[in-house]
Amino acid sequence: MGLFILRRLGVMILTAICLTFIVFFLTNLHPNLEKLAKTQGEMRMSDEQVDRWLANRGYDQPLPIKYGEWLGVWPSKIIEVDDGRAYGRCLQTGVSIADTPRFCGVIQGDWGFSTVFKDEVSSIVATRLSLTGKLMFWVMMLMIPSALLIGVLAGMREGSRTDRSLSTVSIITTATPEYVSGVIFIALFAASASPLNQWLASMDWIEGRTLFKGTATSAMENANFNNFFLPVLTISLYGMGYIARMTRASMAEVMTAQYIRTARLKGVSFPKIVVKHALRNALIAPFTVIMLQIPWLLNGVVIVETLFNYKGFGWVLVQAAGNNDIELLLGVSVVSVIVVLITQLISDIGYVYLNPRISVS
Amino acid sequence: MEPLSWGGIFAGMFVQLIPVWIALIVTFTVSIYYKRKLGLYGKLFDSTIGMIGFALVMFWVFVAALGSMDMILTHDPLGQVSGMKNKLPGTPLRGAQDGDYAHYLLGGDNLARDIFSRVMSGATIVILIAPLATLFAYMVGITLGLPAGYFGGKFDTLLSFVANLVLAFPVILLFYLLVTPEIVNTGLPQYMAIVLFFFPLIFFSVLINTRLKQQPQKNVIWLCAVLIPLAVMYVVTINAPSTKIDILGSLDFFNPAAGILVVFVSVVFVNSPTVFRIVRGLTLDIKQRDYVAAAQTRGEGPWYIMLWEILPNARGPLIVDFCLRIGYTTILLGTLGFFGLGLPPESPDWGSTINDGRKLLSIYLHPALPPAFALLSLVLGLNLLADGLREESLRD
Amino acid sequence: MTHETINGKPVHSAAKMYADEFKAGLLDRREFLTRASALGVATSAIYAMGGLTQPVHAAAHAKQGGTIRMQMEVRALKDPRTWDWTQIAFVGNGWLEYLVEYDSDGSFNGWLAESWEVNADATQYTFNIRKGVKWNNGDELTAEHIAYNFDRWAEGEAEGNSMAARVDSIVDPETKKAIDGAIEVVDSHTLRLNLRQPDITLIPGIADYPAAIMHPDDNPEDLLANQIGTGAYKNDSHEVGVKSVLVRNEGHDWWGYAEGKGAFLDRIEFIDYGTDPSAWVAAAESDEIDTIYENVGDFVSVFDSIGWNKAELATGSTIVVRPNQAATDADGKVIFEDKRVRQAIAMCVDNAVLLELGNAGQGVPAENCHVGPVHPEHDASVTRIPHDPAKAYALMEEAGMADYEFELHSIDDDWRKNTTDAVAAQMRDAGMKVKRTILPGSTFWNDWTKYAFSSTNWNHRPLGTQVLGLAYKSGVAWNEFAWSNAEFDALLDEANSIADAAKRREVMGKIQAIVIEEGVTIQPYWRSIYRHTRPGFVGTDIHIAYASQLYKWAVEA
Repeated sequence: MGLFILRRLGVMILTAICLTFIVFFLTNLHPNLEKLAKTQGEMRMSDEQVDRWLANRGYDQPLPIKYGEWLGVWPSKIIEVDDGRAYGRCLQTGVSIADTPRFCGVIQGDWGFSTVFKDEVSSIVATRLSLTGKLMFWVMMLMIPSALLIGVLAGMREGSRTDRSLSTVSIITTATPEYVSGVIFIALFAASASPLNQWLASMDWIEGRTLFKGTATSAMENANFNNFFLPVLTISLYGMGYIARMTRASMAEVMTAQYIRTARLKGVSFPKIVVKHALRNALIAPFTVIMLQIPWLLNGVVIVETLFNYKGFGWVLVQAAGNNDIELLLGVSVVSVIVVLITQLISDIGYVYLNPRISVS
Repeated sequence: MEPLSWGGIFAGMFVQLIPVWIALIVTFTVSIYYKRKLGLYGKLFDSTIGMIGFALVMFWVFVAALGSMDMILTHDPLGQVSGMKNKLPGTPLRGAQDGDYAHYLLGGDNLARDIFSRVMSGATIVILIAPLATLFAYMVGITLGLPAGYFGGKFDTLLSFVANLVLAFPVILLFYLLVTPEIVNTGLPQYMAIVLFFFPLIFFSVLINTRLKQQPQKNVIWLCAVLIPLAVMYVVTINAPSTKIDILGSLDFFNPAAGILVVFVSVVFVNSPTVFRIVRGLTLDIKQRDYVAAAQTRGEGPWYIMLWEILPNARGPLIVDFCLRIGYTTILLGTLGFFGLGLPPESPDWGSTINDGRKLLSIYLHPALPPAFALLSLVLGLNLLADGLREESLRD
Repeated sequence: MTHETINGKPVHSAAKMYADEFKAGLLDRREFLTRASALGVATSAIYAMGGLTQPVHAAAHAKQGGTIRMQMEVRALKDPRTWDWTQIAFVGNGWLEYLVEYDSDGSFNGWLAESWEVNADATQYTFNIRKGVKWNNGDELTAEHIAYNFDRWAEGEAEGNSMAARVDSIVDPETKKAIDGAIEVVDSHTLRLNLRQPDITLIPGIADYPAAIMHPDDNPEDLLANQIGTGAYKNDSHEVGVKSVLVRNEGHDWWGYAEGKGAFLDRIEFIDYGTDPSAWVAAAESDEIDTIYENVGDFVSVFDSIGWNKAELATGSTIVVRPNQAATDADGKVIFEDKRVRQAIAMCVDNAVLLELGNAGQGVPAENCHVGPVHPEHDASVTRIPHDPAKAYALMEEAGMADYEFELHSIDDDWRKNTTDAVAAQMRDAGMKVKRTILPGSTFWNDWTKYAFSSTNWNHRPLGTQVLGLAYKSGVAWNEFAWSNAEFDALLDEANSIADAAKRREVMGKIQAIVIEEGVTIQPYWRSIYRHTRPGFVGTDIHIAYASQLYKWAVEA
């Protein structure tokens, strides 16, 4: 088992290196660098000014060297410009050029500097990731119990009316992407023009003008039901249907198993069978699905954070990509790769533990 | 002229869609009548869920086909009529002349365009791109997944690593990196198209060649009949004027609208690794079956076994996944439209129209909701269809 | 005491001439205020000379203290002379101020420079620096400090320095630095500029938002570190893309308190809700903001409907949808070489419809010549080639371009995109083929002057000749039309040399006619700009040049 995890870790690092190199390559294509120079320098710079701007900051070096600098395996170049300013990724204010360390890449723990946000990549990613973590926590709190409940209720009596209606509900939720459900929710619950809100306001049942808030910006500091429920609901719904369907299938399978039938013949009451015997076994399969769902939810996070103006990880991703903020984009990619691969690893290990028929080799 | 009531609006839409109803009724009558002779497709008509799904999907397919033949649209989907901006459903057309349809059935959008016509012509784009892109992803996935699963070894390790690499990319990040104008100008998506679009050629040549190897004459005829049109399509598709790849010049007779090719390539690129993993998994499973061993003893070549023994036996799960994946691709296209990436502006595709409509959602509900429901119903239809197929194929 | 001029010197002779012209109806109000105040005449005197009543200040209704939250994009701060977004200035203006202030009524008023005088041929400017202004590090503001800033502005080689063009008349074309002796410190509070050529645009130039006055000891690259400035506020936190907070600089005795300038609020928060106006509405409805930076398009009526107060201002800002006359297509054909093609494009477009669909009808239709009623020299009798799609198509056929597919570029935003979409639709209605390409803002400006056919927004400029000189004159950097016309150039030079408005209008009429006749551009309308504020605040009116004027903002008493 230890060897298995070690090997997986090796693959993980290799994947991260390949992936960041691809991102590095794409973001360092000349048109992208030009865009970077213009957004950072001045919008209407001439071509010579752009070239000088790039050369001053070392962007004109060969790609492998720049990548090596970022990784921390190649000494970072310090460029001194005529007017006394110096550029280089290792430079720090208050430290003279002579005392500046030669290597300062990811290996040395330096994730670089964001050109858009003018801040350390590591601190940006940490803040934003924690905000997204908060969002995801509530998404999980809402999504998993309701998905399992729907799945178990539906799979308990396969083919019944409950099953059919619950299955339809879960299919509908998987067919509704976040940008559709989010838009509908805002229109219904968060626009003062919506008939529902006007009615509620006229009955004096809500304090403000709307039932929920259409923006989650204030939820970053102070999340409450009002400003956080809609984004959480939007993400949860899309993921919920899939987990519910898996649970239903697994539950339905368990319910036809021999030991359940035996228990029923023995006269154990139906609710007791479901809770005591079926549930535990039926929940093994959804576990892996839930783990694999996490990286997939990232998509939803990006859409919902954009839609509701919640400045988390997904928002940073869009900002970094839109502005060609190279080092931030690399940081974002590394984090998302790690999330994807770790969830895969956990789901693999979990699957092995839960299912004795498969062994790790 | 009076604005239409809601009853009038629905009646108007019903009348406008008469060609679609006729096509649907014909399809269903014929299919149900012959369902015993139609294999898995016929069995679909034993399942209510499957039939509902099929009806929803076929509705949009017919809308797309007949819409592009100009049988459904009431107005030009790009035409703007002064005075119709953000007008409610059923508003009569201002300054209508003879021959103009007298109303905006579902109202006007922010640029005074007819929403009904936009939703209907949006179907043409979605129905064209989503299944086709999925099909290409399948070609790539199958062509690589079969040998990876069958041979295993270093080849498998390498391909699986690459597939996992692509899958580890957050989709949105990938799109942001591929679909921005800067990257498009470097020609990168076109180079990717050169690689990805080559797979159907490989797939079909191997498919035919393995089957007809013993009959050289027939083999050549079949190969020519299939490969020459494919190769011509391949060359004219990847060739685009005034880009990095422009060797044909004026011979190039087919140019997909700017952006569509890029979007198409990206979608294929994102979907292929998943298909690869599914095909590889199925191959690993099926290659241990007896009939594969029998074919090996018969002395059949590995490619024959893969394409003519393993692939047909994997069709059940693949067809189901194919349906689901079209739905997923539709959602993905919408996501691209939502972020304003790729698809040409003014495009009536549903993702873009939802994104345009949501901006004024707090005052005008009508521009965003029809495309949202259109997208929802198509994806729902595909899901139900997949469910029906899964149920029926399990009964084998 | 009342001075006729802001420095007590005699009134510039030209100012008196302007007053006469204004009274004779030859100059409009804005032009008169702009011209006279740029010559150093005190605003109150200008109003008196022109027989106008000066508007009453809203300060009477302001309450001391309070917080305002404004929706605004929060951008990274950088060297003021390279500021390219007014939003950056909104934050920086908390502690950085200007020499001169431009007001929405078109007048220029002394700020850190209490007054200035201009010699007869506008080659020498003398600034009297306000006495008793303290930097927040305790230093006294002197003429040396101002000289330091002029030196910095004149550095033409510095990356992204847009001030160099504004103070071009003190820049040596060879060295790209300030000419020796051009910046002369007369005494501790007097600074004289000796220009190499007459320049009447210097004062408008240094009233623009990148002209914030820096302390020589501060590091322009890192404004937030020291925040040495003369203003009333300091920055408490600045998170790009998220939020920036200005708070009153308690230890600092701002000069404006004694002058009764205001700075009423204790705290100003700028919160970033992205560029999508629907998010601003959501924030407004959720009570997370009190005012917005600028309202656009359909959202003006949305904010009206939620009961916020509207501030509206008619401006000279506009959009041009123009062909580039030098652009070639893939086959090497110069697409818009033929005048008939350009005329046909202009003729098939109804400007009123563009205003309706593109900018929600907020503004007035224009005549395709980029000079309008806001400009004093505008000749209203010169109008566009009439809207006639059938004739346009005939012209296009005559030029052999009826089957040509035009590619029309625009930036991806609300009103600019919509207006351009509407142009495309009208061209299609006329029977032409158009393909639309929309580029994100980060990409669009890379090649904005080079697109074959695209739309560009132009901000308000006080004088009618200013934009024509910036963008329409042969060979200038921002000539996105790639238009060169010797007759036009000669007439423009002539117009710039005529002081008398009536005579200038004669020349301007000819200029307008040439621009229209040559089909240089579609310039469909003049925009009005808007800002909405929650009831309970005063002084937050939008400024014609998007200056922040934070000191005017207040909670209503």
